[in-house]
Amino acid sequence: MTPLPQSCRLLPHEAESRIFLRLRGRVAWATVRSMLSGARLRLSLVVLLSAMFWGSLYGLFFEAFTFLDSLHAEVISLLFNAFFSSLMVMLVFSTGILLYGGMYCSPEAKLLLTLPIREEAVFSHKFQEAVWFSSWGFILLGSPMLVAYGVVRDASWTYFALLLPFMVSFVVIPATLGGIFCMLMVAWMPRLRLHAMTVAGTAVGAGLIWMVWSSFSVSRADTMSAAWFEQTFARLSVTEQKLFPSWWLSSGLIEAARKDEGAAAGWPALAEALKFLALLIANGMLLQLVAGWLAARSYRLGYSQLTGEVPARRRRRISWIDQALVNAGTAAGRPLRLLVVKDLRLFRRDISQWSQFVIFFGLLGLYFLNVRSFNYNNTYASMIGFLNLAVVGLILSTFTTRFVFPMISLEGRRFWILGLLPVHRDHIVWSKFLFSFVGGLLPCCGLVLLSDVMLGLSQRTMVIHEIACLMLCLGLSGIAVGLGARMPDLREPSPSKIASGFGGTLSLVISSLFIMVIVVIAALPNHLFLISHAFGPPGGPQRGLLAWAAGPGGTIASMALVVAIGLVATFVPLFLGLRSFRELEP
Amino acid sequence: MIEFDHVTRTYGPKTAVADLTLAIPRGELFAMLGPNGAGKTTTIKMLVGLLRPSRGNVRVSGYDLVREPRNAHLHIGYVPDEPCLYDKLTGREFLWFIADMFGMPRHLASERIASEIEHFELGEFADDLAESYSLGMKQRLVFASSLLHDPDVLVLDEPMVGLDPRSVRIVKDLLKARTREGMTVFMSTHTLAMAEEMADRVGIMVRGQLRFLGTVDELRDQMALETTSLEQLYLELTSPRAAEPGRSGA
Repeated sequence: MTPLPQSCRLLPHEAESRIFLRLRGRVAWATVRSMLSGARLRLSLVVLLSAMFWGSLYGLFFEAFTFLDSLHAEVISLLFNAFFSSLMVMLVFSTGILLYGGMYCSPEAKLLLTLPIREEAVFSHKFQEAVWFSSWGFILLGSPMLVAYGVVRDASWTYFALLLPFMVSFVVIPATLGGIFCMLMVAWMPRLRLHAMTVAGTAVGAGLIWMVWSSFSVSRADTMSAAWFEQTFARLSVTEQKLFPSWWLSSGLIEAARKDEGAAAGWPALAEALKFLALLIANGMLLQLVAGWLAARSYRLGYSQLTGEVPARRRRRISWIDQALVNAGTAAGRPLRLLVVKDLRLFRRDISQWSQFVIFFGLLGLYFLNVRSFNYNNTYASMIGFLNLAVVGLILSTFTTRFVFPMISLEGRRFWILGLLPVHRDHIVWSKFLFSFVGGLLPCCGLVLLSDVMLGLSQRTMVIHEIACLMLCLGLSGIAVGLGARMPDLREPSPSKIASGFGGTLSLVISSLFIMVIVVIAALPNHLFLISHAFGPPGGPQRGLLAWAAGPGGTIASMALVVAIGLVATFVPLFLGLRSFRELEP
Repeated sequence: MIEFDHVTRTYGPKTAVADLTLAIPRGELFAMLGPNGAGKTTTIKMLVGLLRPSRGNVRVSGYDLVREPRNAHLHIGYVPDEPCLYDKLTGREFLWFIADMFGMPRHLASERIASEIEHFELGEFADDLAESYSLGMKQRLVFASSLLHDPDVLVLDEPMVGLDPRSVRIVKDLLKARTREGMTVFMSTHTLAMAEEMADRVGIMVRGQLRFLGTVDELRDQMALETTSLEQLYLELTSPRAAEPGRSGA
């Protein structure tokens, strides 16, 4: 055996961690520097829109907590538990999937595994990266909610100081569990991992369906009654298990925000909060130890198993739908149709895309089918109808951001193929837009119609909703495709990372604002009309701006505005994207 | 220095490498040849510890790649077929990262980094982000990083891809000089002229089996053909007809 070389040595744990920390610091600094030097406007826009998004959420949560503060404190605890426990499940899955990509499929893993470093150090490095990507949404959504709660409860500064430690220590637990499941599955169940994921996904999907179904499958007469509240609380109490980290988090936060009477009375509550924080930190650290131990024993084995897998060869026939789409229309439009069919084929063969599409829209459909069980009056039914429209839009916006926005970036990586084809570059952008618009239009308009029918809304309202939905589909597709073409990331192979980058975040923020604007403008005359009839003089207001806004004039004006904003949101980003994509040099 | 001891690697029902036994001593430049899908990359992945053999052992400088991967890696420098760099690091930062990972003392690392930057003519772009590099620049940087810790064994997977003629010359000179100093080189290549010019011994793999092992002259003798070109000998040995039993062997 040759003695170890003089010029190098095996490093201790801490030194390996320091090197990775330095690496991440350098990469982050280089990223920020290049953004500051080349894309100041973009960066400012993202910061501004994110701040607006944060502010809007804060306002919404502030109002909600002010209303709930008058109810029993248990309601808050129940809501926190339900929110954090569902988040916990999502973090287990999302971190597991991100770690799978980072530890087993990335070129970086291939480099790191040929260096003389510990496997657990590589795990730890990739884990921190995965946690960042999987939990930024939690920070963006969770922080306005928790800050609003603290403000409503008039919490002391210690509550606000403890927010970040609480959130971070909580995130570590489900994220580490996701990492552990991922390593176990790859190393010891490589062949079963797809089946295991399918079973787990089906179980979670079935659980969600059961929760939605059971929440609304009560008789109409009981809705919003004391019995209904009791039943709903009883169902949600499943999330109040004291062994769940989500319970430790919500209990800790509630204790930290508690303000008892008397000067020294806050201390016991703070001590209690710190106890829950310590519980979260201790469990997170323990799980990290377990994950490190597992990584040392299983990472190389798993990597080798996975690299050694041969993908199954399956013959794919050209489907009749594809053939029909290609042959439909004029010869001039054939290249465009071929590009759409190519995207349709990729979508069909990517289980992660269509399964999420089916689950989310399926759950929404199930909820709309049961929406009749609520005994709404006219005003509430109309409001719920518009809220349902907003929910459909928000779900569509998550899809357009996650799957449509990265499409141009991913296409850019294959530019050497597309660049040589006799296809105009504009066709590539238009094909993505058509794919997204048509793909979103049918389920969204169908769902909105279902919701309206189940709520028993008037034909006039249905037409308003359908026009607004059409504009949402157009605008959201235009924003995602246009911004995707304007800010492509040609070097990143992972669509999830492209979507969670600056461009993707900007697309999500603009999409959310667009949905809010469209829904509010569409809802306003309708709402005024119903309010004026419900609370105004008999027969509704006779004169003035309110009368005009609540009448047919207001409806036509609001619809014209909705269409105008929808068209601007569609064509301005598309125009910018097309111009940028024409000049793109890959 | 490098030992493959009855190594077999299977991918499901397919055997990528079958019972490979091969020893490459100190200071030898060994070239592994073979058609696409012959098992060369699998062999290299086992040699650098990315894949575990289904059966048998791989050792570098006496260290088993499965049982003592970290010790083995201290002796190995690896240049993969597709260079992997951090886009947001400069070339110099990447070299420091690798030197740090190998636990090199600061003064020695600084000295070696300066020397490799000069050797591979990286000075002009060493302080630019790697995202702006061409394939050839990346390949030169990876070469420099693989030699920083002065390894006993250098593993090269298609090393000349993307390199311009001047860089090819630099690499060839370097390999000759380093093997004279005692470094062992294991190289997989499709460039037969390079193998003929540089290799002390060649191995020809066909469908996971080592069909020939020896010098190019021995190959000529064994094939007993009129031609003296390695290309012709290679094509003859790897042709489907040659796969029939009894026609040739290692």
